[in-house]
Amino acid sequence: MNQTEMDENRTAAKHRSNIYGMLALVYRQEMTSDLLKHVKDPRFLGVLNDLETEKTEEIDAFFQKPESELLEDLAVEYTRLFLGPGKHISPHESVHHQRDDGQWGKLWGASTAEVKKLIESTGLTYSENFKGLPDHIAVELEFMQQLTLREELAWMDADMDAAVSCRQAEKNFIEEHLIPWIPDFCEKVIQQAELPFYRVLAALTHSFIEFERRR
Amino acid sequence: MKPEINRRDLFKLGIASAAILATGKAIGSSALAGTVDFVEGGKDFSPETGAERKMIPSACWNCVTRDSMIGFVEDGRLVKLEGHPNSIRGKGKICAKGAAGINQLYDPDRILYPMKRAGKRGEGKWKRISWDEALTDLAGRLKKLRDEGHPEKFMFHYGRMKASSSKIIKSVFLASYGTKTIGNHTSICEGAKWTGQELTWGKHYDNWDFDNTKMVVNFGSNCLEAHTNSIPVSQRLIDAVVDRKVKLFTFDVRISNTAAKSTEWVPVKPGTDRAVVLAMCKVIMDAGLYDKDFFNFIKATKNRKESTDAKIAALKKHLATFTPEWAEKISGVPAAKIKSIALEFAKTKPACVISYRGAVAHHHGADTERAVQMLAAITGNIDNPGGRCRGVGAKWKYPKGPKEKPKAKALKITHGFKGDIAYPTHGANHQVMKMIKDGKAGRPEIYMWYCYTPVYSHGEVQENIDVLKDESLIPFTVCVNAYYDESAALADLILPNPSYLEWWDWEDMVSPTQVPEYYIRQPFVKPLGESRDFKDVVCELADRMGFPLGFNSAEEFVKMSCEKTPVVKAAGGFEYMKKHGVYHDPNAKPKYYMYKKEVKTDDLKKEGVIFDTAAGVYWNWKKSKAKSEAEAKEKGYTKTKNAYKGYVGQEIEGKVYAGFKPDKVNKSGYFELYSELLEMKNFPALPSFTPIPSHEKMGPDDLILTSYKVAVHIHSRSANCKWLTEICHDNPAKINTKTARRLGIKSGDKIKIKSEIGEITTTADVTEGVVPGIVAISHHLGHWEYGRYASGNKVPMAGNDDPDLKLKTWSTHGVHPNWIMANKPDPISGQWAMLDNVVKVTRA
Repeated sequence: MNQTEMDENRTAAKHRSNIYGMLALVYRQEMTSDLLKHVKDPRFLGVLNDLETEKTEEIDAFFQKPESELLEDLAVEYTRLFLGPGKHISPHESVHHQRDDGQWGKLWGASTAEVKKLIESTGLTYSENFKGLPDHIAVELEFMQQLTLREELAWMDADMDAAVSCRQAEKNFIEEHLIPWIPDFCEKVIQQAELPFYRVLAALTHSFIEFERRR
Repeated sequence: MKPEINRRDLFKLGIASAAILATGKAIGSSALAGTVDFVEGGKDFSPETGAERKMIPSACWNCVTRDSMIGFVEDGRLVKLEGHPNSIRGKGKICAKGAAGINQLYDPDRILYPMKRAGKRGEGKWKRISWDEALTDLAGRLKKLRDEGHPEKFMFHYGRMKASSSKIIKSVFLASYGTKTIGNHTSICEGAKWTGQELTWGKHYDNWDFDNTKMVVNFGSNCLEAHTNSIPVSQRLIDAVVDRKVKLFTFDVRISNTAAKSTEWVPVKPGTDRAVVLAMCKVIMDAGLYDKDFFNFIKATKNRKESTDAKIAALKKHLATFTPEWAEKISGVPAAKIKSIALEFAKTKPACVISYRGAVAHHHGADTERAVQMLAAITGNIDNPGGRCRGVGAKWKYPKGPKEKPKAKALKITHGFKGDIAYPTHGANHQVMKMIKDGKAGRPEIYMWYCYTPVYSHGEVQENIDVLKDESLIPFTVCVNAYYDESAALADLILPNPSYLEWWDWEDMVSPTQVPEYYIRQPFVKPLGESRDFKDVVCELADRMGFPLGFNSAEEFVKMSCEKTPVVKAAGGFEYMKKHGVYHDPNAKPKYYMYKKEVKTDDLKKEGVIFDTAAGVYWNWKKSKAKSEAEAKEKGYTKTKNAYKGYVGQEIEGKVYAGFKPDKVNKSGYFELYSELLEMKNFPALPSFTPIPSHEKMGPDDLILTSYKVAVHIHSRSANCKWLTEICHDNPAKINTKTARRLGIKSGDKIKIKSEIGEITTTADVTEGVVPGIVAISHHLGHWEYGRYASGNKVPMAGNDDPDLKLKTWSTHGVHPNWIMANKPDPISGQWAMLDNVVKVTRA
């Protein structure tokens, strides 16, 4: 592999890591003031517009609202979509991932255990502050963020063995854990979302995971 | 609407996401901590069972090769052993015996508690006792002997005890206690080979540089199945043969798997390899294909100052009668074959001649090794890339224990009967029981054995049993073992050792690359039951007797050694070794031609260093037994006791070289083909042919009994491994088709094999795979103890039933040939001449 190819691989890993990180951030919790500022930034909205995830006018109009109103609306939407009480779209793999062994459709299921062990097998640990379940969508996306970050480092160090290990681990995780549930999950969010933001976010997530599958 | 993302979008989205992430820290903490690191590893889980899994680097112990390995521990249970991928020795591989170590750890017949004999010795009645009770008893007995001034009456006999185990138990504990009545097992293995080497190039252990060789000639080594450095060298030999098309000629009485994988198996009559080697040397010398330069370092005549031409002439003269035609009559190998292999060997540079037990476990076996050394030396294949090299292993520094040690005493029962053996440099311990019975050299009051089985491993098994059982000959017997074998059954006290998978060591076995590898053994699990590493036990015994060793456990000793050994300390010390298991200096250069190094002038001027003109040796007389410089000079280097310990260098034509430094005997620094030491003991000074006395007297129907090892068993201590015993649980006697026809024997017939010692009954396996005139029975089997898989018998106080026992499909447990083998030694080295036994075979 020549230097140009390694540089290209490094750049790709870096961008992918950032996207995974951004998605993890947005799914992890309700919108915050700080985050909103960046989401509203023309650089970000510009990309969304370019990607034609939603009618540009609708997104623009949505973000024209006063910040306090936006934050309130988004918090209600986040809670309704992902938290409940009552009917919601659980953001956990073990609920959605339809396994051959029938061990799915519940919290802390077989997939949860698998994901936890897999993540820990790479040297990562769950933060003491993190009180969620181990297979929350934000965790899985953050895990991919970390894997791709490690891949980027490997390309920087021209450490082919590590780069190949990272890519293999990414591929396995995408195929065995992301693909089996996140596209379905995103479609459910797209259907259920009342505000454009999470609809856009879900569409973007779905597209990105599809992109990742194709790679 | 779901958009399609392409690579360009990825870049834009990536940049936009980065801006958001930059403030991420302000927006709540991450779920995950740390960074991804596959190499350093975090928690690992079995893909099969989902159980939490730990990978621990350690080292094998199922043969002396001691490969580095990695074990997988799932939920606290060792489930798999693999080779260590970072070991330069094993390159990620272990053998079946290594993989089956798990069977030893979880053997349902393991001894888990100290046990004291309840009935008569050997009756099989036992009582479980506490460690305190066991050690109070033992320390009391040991201390009494020591206090009475007879520490030598404590005999310690070990089989496998290497590296830190040897240092802790032998160099520190036994030395501090004061006994040198210490037996080993080398004479039943390859003692003759080592003595042969010590008489020629000084040290023992030859590494075969298969990575660089272009041809290999093998005398009696089954290195693809059972070598002392098996996995490191066997894979390299296979690589050489398969990838580089290196020719391999194997001389053996049997088509071992090594012979089968050779370019050619050359069948040879038992004990006649030396005739072939001598004839090869003659062919090479006569053809002028010798390496003249190396002759500078060879001593081939009594007068060391002879010119190279004179040395060559003398050697040619000596070899004159050893013609290929003469060798053919003795060995059965066609003269033309001897010539062609000899010429090819001499012309192929570099080439490697190898040898092992098949060639040396005979009368004058040490001389066979000397002849093999000669073949390597005259062709310049000594210490060179691709040749026969002096082994290189790790040099650990370690705590030496109490500074003040008593002058140790010894009963003279470990080196054979007085006057029988010229240079038993590695003992003649297969004769220990015989010597105890004889009693003239004294008898031990306490006989303790460790990773050893004096009953089963020696010949004349019945005599061993009779002696060990007799309380009037040995008042107290102590067995240190995890398993109840034939010898443990005759102990008064059994101290339950763990398996090697539960203890600490540092390790140092020879590296095939000539670059030393430092490695450790660490426990995968805590010792089962109340088993305790004997190395830890000796620390407590020493404390109880009032001479603390300065460390309290093997772990502490290993840790201290890691700190004391500069190269290991620099790598990261104990913590590094625990994590990685192996270390070698990546910048180290392979050690070749070490003999050519010149000695510094300053070293020749040191206090006590004198020059011996006859031998040409600079030596420090103060390290010898000489009482004064005058005495040292008068007796001279060769005849002063322990003069070799003061060896400094060898003068050759005005220069002083490191040369071939002696290790056990007063040889010079030359590569000695001409041995004054042997001449002094009335043996031929140059490698020669001496017929095997028992073979000279053979009748027309007599056969020679030979023995061998299989790839899936350890010599005497693996029949309890169910995976191995499932593969190999019978050992019918192999007899050549022609021989069998003459004796009226067919495959499957029950046969009797009778020697001067006794008789065994077994089954015949008629085959072309052994030479005519022999009967071949493998070691390993024929156990009458050692648990349900080995013998079909459970042991007293055995653990719960192993559910796998339902899968035990075999009811044969083989036969043990040692019952009828005489314990005769090679008169040069003390090697048990186990392959010389003459027998009669008849249908039962």
